[in-house]
Amino acid sequence: MSYGGHDDHHHDHQHSHWGPHDWDHGHGGAPHNSWAPIMLAFGSSIFLLGFTKVFTQTWDSEASIWTYAIHSSQLGLLIAGLAIFTAGLTVFWRQDWSHSGSYEAKAVGTPFRTIDIRKVAVWMFLMSEMMVFSSLFSTYIRYRLGFDNCVELFESSIEPGSTVVLEAGQQCWLPASYFIAEGGYHQEYANAALGFMPDTLIPGAINTFALIISSYTIVLALKTAKDSSLSDAERSRKVGNYLSITLFLATLFLTFKLIEWFIGFNIGHPGDWYYFHAPSLSADHFTIHESAYTYCHHWDHHGGVDHKGACEPGMDAIFDIRMSASTFYVTTGTHGVHVFGGMVALAYMVLKAYRGGYTPQNAVSIEYFGLYWHFVDLVWVLVFPAFYLY
Amino acid sequence: MGEHGHHTILGFDRYAFNFWVLMIFTAIEVVAVALTFSMKGTVSMNTVVFILVSVGIVKGVGIAAIFMHLQGDEDSRVLTATALFPVFFIVVMVLFIGLTHPDAADTLPAWCRPGFYT
Repeated sequence: MSYGGHDDHHHDHQHSHWGPHDWDHGHGGAPHNSWAPIMLAFGSSIFLLGFTKVFTQTWDSEASIWTYAIHSSQLGLLIAGLAIFTAGLTVFWRQDWSHSGSYEAKAVGTPFRTIDIRKVAVWMFLMSEMMVFSSLFSTYIRYRLGFDNCVELFESSIEPGSTVVLEAGQQCWLPASYFIAEGGYHQEYANAALGFMPDTLIPGAINTFALIISSYTIVLALKTAKDSSLSDAERSRKVGNYLSITLFLATLFLTFKLIEWFIGFNIGHPGDWYYFHAPSLSADHFTIHESAYTYCHHWDHHGGVDHKGACEPGMDAIFDIRMSASTFYVTTGTHGVHVFGGMVALAYMVLKAYRGGYTPQNAVSIEYFGLYWHFVDLVWVLVFPAFYLY
Repeated sequence: MGEHGHHTILGFDRYAFNFWVLMIFTAIEVVAVALTFSMKGTVSMNTVVFILVSVGIVKGVGIAAIFMHLQGDEDSRVLTATALFPVFFIVVMVLFIGLTHPDAADTLPAWCRPGFYT
């Protein structure tokens, strides 16, 4: 693969304007080994382990509430993990991230011989990312295939002449899509204007389009950066604009994620013909603490739009949805963390672009970030139908 | 982007073409589900699953092949093999462990099993 303009003959002392890059380390220009990935992986592991030790919850059976505790004695683990992670980032910055990209070292080992070494590194990283998300997906698939859908089970058990019998303690799975795509038990009070659209699905649907558009804007940034027919000033402005749009869309994604999880939204007021009510998932009781979620087959409408209506006797069931909620929040949260990581990198790239940091000679740096960003999009392509729609 | 800057599909820039395919297929995905839940009984759940899987495959291949350049570049083949390597583990996890032990989920420890109470 040739990107043109890469200068293979001047790699002995590559000095970047963007940081203290030191490429050859006195080894004749050969690609160097780095402790950074190990430090980052070890640091994040310690940090996450510390996180589970510092923040805990226990069930108070007498008061029937969850009690939370912060164990300050375990803070050391959290801080140590963060320190190692930060040190890893510093090493990463000093060695590679600040590289201007005008020189691309080639991989020397089979089967990646002659491929740009940074490209190989990004793909190796993406492989490990695939394993992370594969673990989350296989967990989800195992649960979905292993347990019946709670609502379907209940509905079949109350059908006239049904032989399905439910017993206390029987296990089932209430999927996130019940709250998102199906609208949960508030469905009949919502959607006056957009009757065709389940309410809580809207943030997720907008996010799906936002990520796809952002994938395209990254491609446009790369194409523009490689366009040698543009003046430097025009190229810098256009690349900066495309990257800014990508950053904006990523911010939009996380904003809608927060709305979906915690905030919800209303359009108009109860009684307005255009009234639209989309409660958050936490307001719908889809939380990791919900061990007794009340499902109602048929609500007494006297409760009105605040969902406080009573359920007809014998038409309700109580589900433990903690595992379903945990699987949903861990998977979508892990994806959200990846979006946030991309936003940090994008903020740096936007600044670099407006300062003229990307030229046809080093535009490939945008492609390497783009690989990560497309991967984040690709994961969402799987997460969205699996968790939000099915 | 490599050498693909000027390649076209059906007369469109390949990236623009892929972008619009992704947008349209996502719209199909959302509308299919919205219709299913809003007008119960109109479309069966099996049909929805079929639509979701089909659309997901098309979108996934579009992103990987065109946006991530796993098709057409000199190094595409080896990088595709790299990308597919984790699939081996996925197959092991999902097929050989999950599906060969259909009761596996029921025998999980109590703390990671969902519960149902009437």
